[in-house]
Order: sequence, then C-alpha cells, then structure tokens
Amino acid sequence: MSPRTGPSNSFPNCHHLSHRLFGMSQTITKTHDVSIPDFFSAKTSYFIRITFATIQSIPNNKTTRTAMTTTATPSKPPASWALLQIPKPIQTLFNKFPLVTYPSNDLPLRTQLLNSSSLPTLYIFTTEPDALANLPSFNPTCLKWQTLLRLTRTPHRVLPSTNHASPTGSLPFLLPADSTSSPSKPIPASRITNHLSLALPPPPTAREETFLSLLTPIRNAFLYSLYLLPSYEELLNQFYIYPSTSSSLVQKTLRYQLRSAAAASILQSKNLHPDGGKEQIDEKEIFEEVREALEALAGELLQSRTEWFFGRERPGEFDAGVFGYLWLMLVYMGGGLGQVVREVGGGVLERFCRRIAEECGWDL
Amino acid sequence: MALQLYVWGPALNLPSIDAECIAAIAYLSQTTSRADYHLIQSSPSAVPTHHLPALYNPSTRTWTSGFTSILRHLSQNPPPTFHDESASPSSSRTANLNFLLSHCPPLIALSLYVSSTNWSSTTRPAYSKILPMPLPWIEPSNVRAAMVQRAEHLGMSSLDTDAEAEKREAAEKASNAAGWISVPPALRKTTSEAMAPEFTRRIKLEKLARDVLDVIKDINLGDGDEGLRCLAFAYLSLMLVDEVPRKWLSETVRGKDEYRDLVRFVVRFRDDVFAGKDLPWMRDEDSESALGVGRRFLDGAICEVPVLGSEWRRRSAGRRKRKMLEDRGLRAEELEDDRDGTLLAGAGATVLALGLGVFFYRRLPPFGAAVQVWRASPVLGFGGLGAAGAMLSSVFAPSTARY
Repeated sequence: MSPRTGPSNSFPNCHHLSHRLFGMSQTITKTHDVSIPDFFSAKTSYFIRITFATIQSIPNNKTTRTAMTTTATPSKPPASWALLQIPKPIQTLFNKFPLVTYPSNDLPLRTQLLNSSSLPTLYIFTTEPDALANLPSFNPTCLKWQTLLRLTRTPHRVLPSTNHASPTGSLPFLLPADSTSSPSKPIPASRITNHLSLALPPPPTAREETFLSLLTPIRNAFLYSLYLLPSYEELLNQFYIYPSTSSSLVQKTLRYQLRSAAAASILQSKNLHPDGGKEQIDEKEIFEEVREALEALAGELLQSRTEWFFGRERPGEFDAGVFGYLWLMLVYMGGGLGQVVREVGGGVLERFCRRIAEECGWDL
Repeated sequence: MALQLYVWGPALNLPSIDAECIAAIAYLSQTTSRADYHLIQSSPSAVPTHHLPALYNPSTRTWTSGFTSILRHLSQNPPPTFHDESASPSSSRTANLNFLLSHCPPLIALSLYVSSTNWSSTTRPAYSKILPMPLPWIEPSNVRAAMVQRAEHLGMSSLDTDAEAEKREAAEKASNAAGWISVPPALRKTTSEAMAPEFTRRIKLEKLARDVLDVIKDINLGDGDEGLRCLAFAYLSLMLVDEVPRKWLSETVRGKDEYRDLVRFVVRFRDDVFAGKDLPWMRDEDSESALGVGRRFLDGAICEVPVLGSEWRRRSAGRRKRKMLEDRGLRAEELEDDRDGTLLAGAGATVLALGLGVFFYRRLPPFGAAVQVWRASPVLGFGGLGAAGAMLSSVFAPSTARY
C-alpha cells in the first residue's frame, strides 16, 4: 500500500469491496442502518470492517436510532479496479515472505561440458549426432558461420541449441574458450568476425555491397518454400517443430507462429503490411525473383577469375553466406529451389557449393 | 486496350508520393507512348493486389504490383509502342536493382514516416490531400505502420517522438501511482533531451544515409538502363524533398561533394522526363464513387479492430487472390473455402453479447449503494400528544423515503 493512502481513505473502497462481494443479497434485503460503535475508529483493522459490513445486511433488532452512516459513503462506484487498495494486514502478512532464502544450487555437472571448453563453442541449430561430427547445420545463418569458421580453419566445436539460449534471441552465437581470469560471455553472430580476428578478405566494395542484397530474394524464396509450402511441411517439422516439443497442441501453435513470422518477414521486405499473411504473397513473383538473383550470382561467378566470388583468392563471408542458402536448397529442396540452383548458369553454382563443402571437409 | 497503372497520387512536387510509383510512372512515360497507358490515382484498398504501383493489363487480364514485377511483366508482354532495348538482364543490373529496393526504403521511412515531426507536418497532410474522405483516417496510418516496420532494424525508433512521449507518460504515471517522489517535468529534461532526436542522433543518421549513398554513387546511372535510372531517380528525389521540417536526409545528400553527381542526376532526369509533360491521368469512377469509398473505408476500419483485424486482413487477401485468379478464368482450388460469413456472424454475435452485457451492467445500481434507506422522520408537532400523537404522526407523515 502506498504511504499516501491512509486508512480513512481506504474506507469507502473497503466498503465497496464488501458490497461487491456480498452485495447481491443486500440488494434484496433492506439495509438497516446501525450506529457505529465507538470501537469502530479509523484505526480498526480492515477485517472487522468487512465482517461488520456483511452483518450489516442482516436485520438487526438492536437498531436504536436511524442514522446516515451507510448512505454517507459516496454513491459513485470506484473508477476502476486499480483503485482498490491492498488491505494493510494482508500487505504486512505478505511482506513477511520469503521467510528463508536458500542459496542457489550448483548447476549440474554436465553443464560444465555445455558451457565451458578449451575451444570456442558455436551454438547452432543442429542435431546431437550431427554436432558431434560437425556436420552442416540446417539453418542458413548458422551454416554461414559454421562454414566461415571451417573455411578459416579456426579450431572450434559446435553444440545444438535453440533461440531461447541466445543473448540476441537468435542463433548462432559463440562462447569463447575458457579462460581462468573471467567467465566467458557469449558473442552474437555479428561480432564473431571481430572477436576471433578471422583472416578474412577486406571489407566489401560498393559493387560487392550490391551483390549482398541479392541474398534478400534468395532468403524470401527459402523462407517461402520451407515455411509456407505444404510440400515441405515434413521438413519443417523435422527441423524446428519435433525437436522443440512432443505435445501436438504446442506443435500446432509453434508451426502457426513460425509460419506467420515467415510470412511477415517476407511481406516486410516488400514494403507490404506484415499482417497480410500468406495470401498476400505472390508466389510466382517470389520464384521469378530468386531465379533472377541466382542467375546474377552465376553470372558473377562465371566472370570471376578465380573459383570464388569477386576474383578473391580465398572464399570469404560473402561466399559463406551464399553457400548457407544454396547448400540447403540443394540438399533438402531437390525438386524445387534445388532444381533452380542446378539449372542456373550451367550448374556453376552447384559446383561452387561442392567446392566450398570440400574446403570445409564435408564429404557429402 | 491501354494499360492501367494504379499509383498513389502526386505530392511533394513529384508525380507520386511513393517511390516505386514514381519509378513506374517514369518508366512507362519513357518507354511507352501516351496512348498505350493510363495513370489512375488510387490507394492500395482499391486494387486487388493491395499494393501500389499496380499494373492492370487488359489483354492478359493480369494484375502486377511492385516495380520490378511491372518491369518483368512489360518485357514479357510488351504493349505495341514499348521500346526499351536496355532491358537485357545482367548480373550487375539485378544486383543494383535489388540494392536500391532493399536499402533505400528504410532511409525514406526514417525521414518521411518514422520521424513524427516530418510525418505530421508534411507526409500525413500530403496523403490527406490525395485521398478522398474518409480514407485519410485509415490508409496513411497503415502505410506508416508498414514503413516503421521497414526501418525497425536500423534502431531509430526514437525519431518517433509521439510514441516516445507516450511511453514516458506511462512510466511517469506508474511511478506516481507507486508513490515515488517525482521531479517536476520542467526540471527533468537535460539539454540533449530537450533537443529534437533528429539533432541528437544526427551523426548516426548521416552515417546510415552515407552507407547507402556511397554505394549508389558508384552505380552507373548514365544512359542505358532505363529501369535502374527510374528507380534511382524515385528514391533520390524523395530523399531530396525539402518540404519537411527536419531535413537531415536532404542535407546529407546535398552537403557532400561526392554526391553532387547524384543531385545533378535528379535535376536532369526531372527536366528530361517530367518537365512540361502532362501525364495521361484518368479517373477511376468505380472505386471513387461514394459506395466504393465507403466499402474501402469499412474494410480498412475492420482491419483496425484489435484481434479480429489481422484475421480479416488475411481473409480478404485470400478473397482478392481468388478473385484475381477467377478473372483470368483459373480455378483456385488450393485456397481455403470462403468462411467469411461464419466469421462475420460470430464477430457480430460477440459484439452484440458484449454490448448487452455492458448495457446490463450499467443498469445495475452502483454496488454498495443502499436500495432503501430509513431516515429520521420529521417532527410534525404531534409529539406532545403522547401515544395518540405518535399514532397520528404515523398517519400523516410518510416515515420512509425511497430512492
């Protein structure tokens, strides 16, 4: 209870509370006013008042004088429930808790394995066995960073995780190697490059920046296929739904949420109102755009004087980003987007993906 | 039959208020003869794709919306007088178009839509001018909501001072209710807080703009690729709008020597394409009739209802899609059945029940008020007569007062 509201303030409210609780009987029976006894001072506890208010509705033969006590309360009901004050005795009672606070338990021993290692740990969407073998993740962004770490030959290990574990709310993130001096803090994906000081090619030029934006239509098509096409529902279940929960009701809700989030993300990239849902998305347009984008990438790769994008000697962040999407399309969406990737530019993109996988030591 | 291009109306000394609409108008006016197309001032609620610019091609009976889709449609189904030899797809062209489409809208959104000063003094009035009443009550806020989402990842929501002020007031109320002593508002603001967020965050805003402009200035906007030139003009001309109170974006573009070519490009393009040319505007009688506007308003109003709105939006999108397919003689079997009737009836019943509940609640006497009260009876002068007097007084004077 706030210090400004004294007991005298709370009287009308308590009165209303009691009438709200017991008022129905009172509207039928007549109210017999009673004179307030002397002990009923402002200091009297709330409980007594409530009891008093309830017995008020019982016909009372002891009434000696008629008075204006009940009608003296304002006839307006309180504006809202927020105005109801917590009764002081209840407040003081609850203030006594907690009675004892025990020290927190130590984490189970196996968590030592999960959150500390002599190697930096990359937390990604993957399965336990795949993580042990450091096989490619099934999430494009996670796969990008996993690929980048492997391309730069950075020693690391991967562990399966979920978005809930990440400080940014989305995977991947990196937990640096154990150091005795300070507890290691998680590094979000955007700062991994700086943190590990990866030996990467110089930052992108203006021309490369424009090619980076080709990932938007590719991403849209990937999201559309995986989340919104009924033909990939089983894939979606395997990737994200079944590992999260076994309850079918929760699975349904989760699928619904993921789908509307994917639709909203696609709509947003097209300046459309994010509430439009799947029907607002033009499927034909999505697939025409991804074909154009893939053709542009294939054209760029054919012009490059090396095997990698922009004539670089070593594959870099851009190559890893493109690989993240194309590899998943090739492996999991063979009939749809994978077919497009294979066809475009005479298969140059597929050969590019195989080269990257080889560089990473993924013999698939 | 002539193509019909549905666009947002003209504003801010530009042929349209929306970038992609400007680009589409410029592209058609350069590549197609006047006789082959009409421009129709419209708003998203009047077209089945619910997105502008939208192109209706009567010969294929198709709706196409969005600038790149319109480019693609025109190159696949060219009207008789169409000429654009430059439209050969190349890697850089696709990349450049995609870059403009994904990086320029957030900047425009920050300048014209997120910033509450610019929105309330320039953008919103401009929308009000080009929309028939009562649509300005519905549509601009939808556009703004979409644009705010578009710029969300840049983390500049503090430009929306209205929303910030609301948040602050709510926090203040909460702390007052909790009984904290609060500093009076006049003493609370530091110098930087009293300044407009466009000034305090100027450096960050300029950096965001320069990241994009540095790339655009390296894109070849010379003769050749008409589609790319039109899109670049559309975005740059909106960035250079001077009619706003907070001109950080226009000042960033004009302030640097490196971007002088971009400003020059905009001026030259405007002179070449739009100066002294009247565009083939046409009126759309159907959607501008009182009935059409009423229908659009009602539809928009339902979309604003909290929970029901998004469901309605989704359903009407499905309905429009079905209709578009049926117009082309195609069946839309995979789409869900029409269950709008059930939805409407359910919603109506809920609203009715709620209304009745509220009415009933209001009719109840205030809780705690006494229904019947006994008052002291007025003394009428029979007291001196003893028992007989008491009997008399009960006969002559009403002892109860009802209310």
